[in-house]
Amino acid sequence: MPNRTIGARARPRRPPRRTPPAASRRAFKKEATRSRIVAAALTLFQVKGFDATTTKAIARKARIAEGTVFNYFPTKEDIALYFLEQEVDHAIAAVRGDARLRKASIDEKLFALVQTQLEFLAPHERFIGAAFIQALKPGSKLGVFSPSAQALQFRYLAFVQELVDEAIRRGEMTAAGWWTPHVFWIYYLGVLLYWLHDTSRGKQQTLAFLDRSLKIGVAVLRQR
Amino acid sequence: MRMKGARTSHRPGAPSSIGRAWRIARLTAGVTGSYVGYMMQRLFLGEAQRDRRRRAVHARAGRRIHDELALLRGPAMKLGQALSLHTDLVPDELLAELTKLQMEAPGMHPSLARAQFSASLGRSPDQMFKRFEAEPFAAASLGQVHRAVLRDGTDVAVKIQYPEIRAAIENDFRWLRRASLPAQASGHLPTDVLDELESQILAETDYVREADDIVFFKNGLKPLDFVAVPDAYRAYSTDRILTMSVVRGEHLDTFLTRHPSQRLRDAIGSRLLELFYFQVLRLETLHADPHWGNYLFNDDGTIGLVDFGCVKRLGPAAVERLRRSFLYAGRTDSPEFQQIIQDQFARPGRTLAPAALRAVRDFTEQFYRKVYPPDLKDAVRPFDFSDARFLRDYVRAATNLARAKGSTPRYIFLPRAEIGLYTTLHRLKARVRTIKIVRRLLNDPRSHDRDPV
Repeated sequence: MPNRTIGARARPRRPPRRTPPAASRRAFKKEATRSRIVAAALTLFQVKGFDATTTKAIARKARIAEGTVFNYFPTKEDIALYFLEQEVDHAIAAVRGDARLRKASIDEKLFALVQTQLEFLAPHERFIGAAFIQALKPGSKLGVFSPSAQALQFRYLAFVQELVDEAIRRGEMTAAGWWTPHVFWIYYLGVLLYWLHDTSRGKQQTLAFLDRSLKIGVAVLRQR
Repeated sequence: MRMKGARTSHRPGAPSSIGRAWRIARLTAGVTGSYVGYMMQRLFLGEAQRDRRRRAVHARAGRRIHDELALLRGPAMKLGQALSLHTDLVPDELLAELTKLQMEAPGMHPSLARAQFSASLGRSPDQMFKRFEAEPFAAASLGQVHRAVLRDGTDVAVKIQYPEIRAAIENDFRWLRRASLPAQASGHLPTDVLDELESQILAETDYVREADDIVFFKNGLKPLDFVAVPDAYRAYSTDRILTMSVVRGEHLDTFLTRHPSQRLRDAIGSRLLELFYFQVLRLETLHADPHWGNYLFNDDGTIGLVDFGCVKRLGPAAVERLRRSFLYAGRTDSPEFQQIIQDQFARPGRTLAPAALRAVRDFTEQFYRKVYPPDLKDAVRPFDFSDARFLRDYVRAATNLARAKGSTPRYIFLPRAEIGLYTTLHRLKARVRTIKIVRRLLNDPRSHDRDPV
């Protein structure tokens, strides 16, 4: 039996409880409110549709004052943009964080990226359809000429470029170039449209389409 | 179920840019539909390095055939698999390539397999299993198989189907029907045979039905204590995902590399034949996907049976006709035998053409009576399947029957299953008392008990 000393049996002293500084508490609270607004908005977008949802309804659903909603998101489009940022960040983090994918082929990496995005978007399909239309309206914050949407797009494409560069180094996509991520962006929008219109069970057709088209795309960009 | 073997790779001889563009145009046209298009990608997609050592003409020809058939996936791949069962009838190099088709099929990458699983079961494999291997350990012609462990620690095999395979097969058949119009018009490939082929292959895409068949065979094959059938786990299965218990045993190739004794090979051969005719004559239902990957062999003589995708219900009437003709001991040109053949092969309300009748008679004389001698005094000696001549006889007789327009949808899967059986018996070099086994199953009182291992 091992010797036990009083010291060994004594409980380790707990570090003194620190209260978070007021600034960090405020930031935490702000983030919680932001999440509440987004969750309420997404539910309403899905049930009532993007156009029919009012800021008032979002405030009521989130149980906050309508003015507070405006403090966080000046327009409904800002809420949509915030959600899409989350979606892109989530997908990039998922692909980056998957150790197995590091050794995978470029078509699998791109498949995993898009599939993760689609899985994230799946509960909000109706809203995504509306956001798509909304983005085509002149002056829309979701449109291609909006600075915030562009920033998001560049973040996404920078990651795609990273994957493409790696594929070029590995000889998988020797004919790819600076323009490849931009072509991929158009392709991604096409996939999104295909997915939105896919009525097959479990979106089977999108899975098959995504897999086959990526393989073809990568093959085209492989110079012999 | 086929073990993943050597990897395929770049096709030698890169296509010109024009040729490639043309192929891509064709591919893109079929991208949402046909699996033919999907498999065409392998023309220039392949993996790492193709085996450079094979330079023989046969190897090139074999590889080409293998590639073309693998590209065509669905029905054509099944045809390739059937061809590759013809050992000794095709050159070794060609056989090696065709065997690959049995054992390996280009698969889904782990991300697609996972997405397909989640789309079908509503939860990811990681959420449902204690452990799930991302890389498949075997390829099935319509999907692939992954190892996994249930939460309670049970080892299982999870078969995942390619997305949209059903639509792809339907597309393939549309193409096959158009391509085979001349053969249909001449009567060599009757439309109802194509219908039967399509419905049977489409049936393989329904894993719920396959789980039902596993239960059917599990119960039905109980009297044969040497056969192991997996359990299906319904809670982990859908029409596109099938989770089964793992059946132990080795594939024929691996089993044979350990040089099993003649006694063991004879015993396994006898059991394979008994298993086959037990299904036909007693269960009236046949596990009709006979390629080597579906049988697992053990040193204690037990046989594991896996992959119940292709199951054929023969029905009592067909089996009764088979019983009457099988061990018919009289002359094959007698009116009685002709009537039996008419009943068995002619379409309802039609008489069999004289050429077809002759082909069936030749089949009986040149094959069945040699392997299953109806005369008891010939039946004492076991039939030696190591001699390849019997296989050639079978293929010649079967080909003549098809040429004489004797194909009937009722029996379309029987020759495929028989070829599988006989090829396996030949590769085992087994000596089997064929007639004794068949008589016992026909409830013939002159038969004796089973041979011990």
